[in-house]
Amino acid sequence: MSAGPAIAVEGLTKYYGRVIGIEDLSFQVERGEVFGFLGANGAGKTTTMRLLLDLLRPSRGRASVMGVDCHRDSLAARRLIGYLPGDLPIYPDLTAREYLAYLARLDGRPVPREYLDHLLKRFDVSPLDERRRLREQSHGMKQKIGIIQALMMKPPVAILDEPTAGLDPLMVQAFRETVAELKRAGGTTVFLSSHVLAEVESTCDRIGLVRGGRIVASGTIDDIRRDATRRVTVTFADGGPPLVTDVRGPLGPLLASLGGRAIHDVGVEPFRLEDYIAQFYGDGRR
Amino acid sequence: MRTLLARSAAQARYVLIGSSLLLFGFQMIIIGQAAEIQRTQTFGLVEQLLPAFLQRGLGSRAMLLATFKGTVAFGYFHPVVCLIVAFAAMYVATEPAHEIESGLVDLELARAVPRRRLLTRSLLLAHLAIAAAVTVMFAGTAIGSRIFDTAGMDMPPAAMRLELLVNLAATASCFTGFALLVGTIAGRWVTAFTTAALTAVVLYLLDFLAMGWTAVKNVAWISPFHYYAALSIVGGDASPWRDVSILFGAGAVCAAAAFWRFSRRDL
Repeated sequence: MSAGPAIAVEGLTKYYGRVIGIEDLSFQVERGEVFGFLGANGAGKTTTMRLLLDLLRPSRGRASVMGVDCHRDSLAARRLIGYLPGDLPIYPDLTAREYLAYLARLDGRPVPREYLDHLLKRFDVSPLDERRRLREQSHGMKQKIGIIQALMMKPPVAILDEPTAGLDPLMVQAFRETVAELKRAGGTTVFLSSHVLAEVESTCDRIGLVRGGRIVASGTIDDIRRDATRRVTVTFADGGPPLVTDVRGPLGPLLASLGGRAIHDVGVEPFRLEDYIAQFYGDGRR
Repeated sequence: MRTLLARSAAQARYVLIGSSLLLFGFQMIIIGQAAEIQRTQTFGLVEQLLPAFLQRGLGSRAMLLATFKGTVAFGYFHPVVCLIVAFAAMYVATEPAHEIESGLVDLELARAVPRRRLLTRSLLLAHLAIAAAVTVMFAGTAIGSRIFDTAGMDMPPAAMRLELLVNLAATASCFTGFALLVGTIAGRWVTAFTTAALTAVVLYLLDFLAMGWTAVKNVAWISPFHYYAALSIVGGDASPWRDVSILFGAGAVCAAAAFWRFSRRDL
């Protein structure tokens, strides 16, 4: 494990025959950061995650986790990762407890008992739930078990594909608290994909927006908020027709351009991440 | 490895236990029938019932099937027995295709588990299943001979039965290697298992037809069953070890190709 970013992706490309999975994807996730990987279905989010795990082999480019090459030294790289797949596969005949125990044994990394208990408690998995077979569990419960198996060994890098899909609002909150806790502790970098933009806004330090297999925007939420186009409505004291316009950046120049006309009110539509993202999908391409 | 092995064994337990019970029961039934025919001195009638093409194809060895020894030994190379053992092994060997299809491979290989370990596990479990199957068959014959009181009857000697079972195990091992290869190529488990199972049936028929059909005889060498010359072993005029080597060798080549393929494919 060398110094440098937690995740580094350089020119990573994956073709499925003629179909582009991702193309020339490059980005970095710093250590201890919570990075949101956004994009429409089929944009290449899961492909990128599976390339990091060496489940897919890149057509070209490279990816590393904590400085360890994900393909050439994949075992060492995977030893640093906790992964939640988008569709959690289960062994229906196992109970939740057996499932977690099996994955812990397979992993080989020690699972701190107190931390596992802490996660089970936080995600409201009771001893009774632990003893029920997975085929009898609800989708939400399976998802909670999935999150727990990814985080239970306190991995240096957690890769979470749609972690809150199917969770109720209380459990979404529990997930946010868990991520915040990991961030405070500083030992885990979280790389997550999500369609729930409010969650991304509240959880992530930085986002990357992938479209057509390429990163089309990235930055901190604050950077994006500053950079985003906002709809501004200016109403005047003289009763004249209001001015409705889209503004990018500070409002100062707009107000200065009004030539000293008395302003009654200035309304600014609040920043919405979905509006920001929607502008990249205007032409219907994924 | 033990963790993966135990999980796979637990998943396949019904198939493995079921096939073992079938094989055990089959040996009991066949030895019971053979003892009954021997007691009623009606093996002469059995000889007359043997199809003519079988007698032409097998020559004098066909007459072995109309003896107590041959009938008991037939329990080790009956098509149902050969195919049950091969199917059970192939069921286990195609597990990687199921793991890819269901996404379980994402959970397993997201950890520091080498890819090859999944195949080694399946290969190992398939061979344990084969070993269990032939052990159960041997036990079925031994217990059956006590139950049906075959003392004084011309039982096939234990060494001969072991030779037959080793040859049967080698045949199943060959199909295991083939199924492993198919399992690493196919996208769906049902495709992998059906392909492997149908191939086994077709190759059995090919070997069977080769007994009386010269055109087929020329290509019968491609069938693993061609290298299970059971009647020659029962007749005492052939040693199975060359055939066993060929079968294990062919299985090993297929398994090596499977490892090569699995190490390079997207999962």
